[in-house]
Amino acid sequence: MTSPFDPEPIPSASESPLPSQSAPPSANDATNQVEPPGPGQIPPASSWLAVFLTTATTVFLAELGDKTQLAALLLAAESGRPVVVFVGASLALICSSLVGVLLGRWLSTVMAPNQLERAAGLLMVALGLWLGRQAMLHLAPLPLLPPGLLRAAIG
Amino acid sequence: MLALLGSTFITVFLAELGDKTQLAIVSISGTTNRPGAVFAGSAAALVLASLVGAAAGGSLASLIGPDVLQLGASVGFLILGARLILRSSRSQGEETPTP
Repeated sequence: MTSPFDPEPIPSASESPLPSQSAPPSANDATNQVEPPGPGQIPPASSWLAVFLTTATTVFLAELGDKTQLAALLLAAESGRPVVVFVGASLALICSSLVGVLLGRWLSTVMAPNQLERAAGLLMVALGLWLGRQAMLHLAPLPLLPPGLLRAAIG
Repeated sequence: MLALLGSTFITVFLAELGDKTQLAIVSISGTTNRPGAVFAGSAAALVLASLVGAAAGGSLASLIGPDVLQLGASVGFLILGARLILRSSRSQGEETPTP
C-alpha cells in the first residue's frame, strides 16, 4: 500500500542516481519499434511458401500438447508399437486436414470473401484468446486469483 | 496390427474433427487462393507433431512445456485473426458493399 504520506524521501537529481527497477525501456524500444502496418503491406495473394510456412507453424504449435498428441502418446506406450500408431495417427491427421481444406474451399464459394475473412478473423482471435487464457491459467494459476475468491472456492 | 492401425486412425480422426486445428485450417484455406499450400503445410505439421508424440515421447513438449507452446500458438492465432479482420475491413472500404 502506497500512501501520499510515505516517509520514503524522493531522491532529487544528484550525482548518485539509484538503479531503479522499473526503468523506462524507452531507449531500447525506440530502436526496436515495429513499423505500423501501412495500407497495402499485406499482399493480396501470398506466395506458396508463405502460406505453407504460416499454416505449418500455426498448426504445429497448436497441435503440440493437444489432446490428439496425448492420445497418440498413450496409444504408443500402451501398445508398444509406436510405428503403427504413428502411421495411423498420421493418416487420420492428413485426412482431417484434407476435410478442413475442402470445407474452407466450399465456404469460399458460398460466402462473400469479405464476410468470410471477417468471420475467420474473429474465429481466430477467439481461438487465440481462449488458448492464451488456458495457457496462462496453467502457467500461473494462483496469483491471478484474488485471495478472497480462492478462500471462497476452497471453504 | 491392423486393428491397432484402425483404432488409432478412428480415435485420432474423431478427436481431430472440429478441433481448433481444423478450424484454423478451414479459416486459412477459405481466405487464401492456395489450398495446396495449406494442405501441404498442415499435413506436414500434423505428421511432425504426431511423430513427436509417438516416437520422441513428447520430448519437445516436456522440454519447453506445453503451456508455453500453447501460448505461442495463441499469439499466432491472434496475429492471423487480426490480419484477416484488417484485410476484410479494408476491402470493404474499397469496394462499396451491397447491403
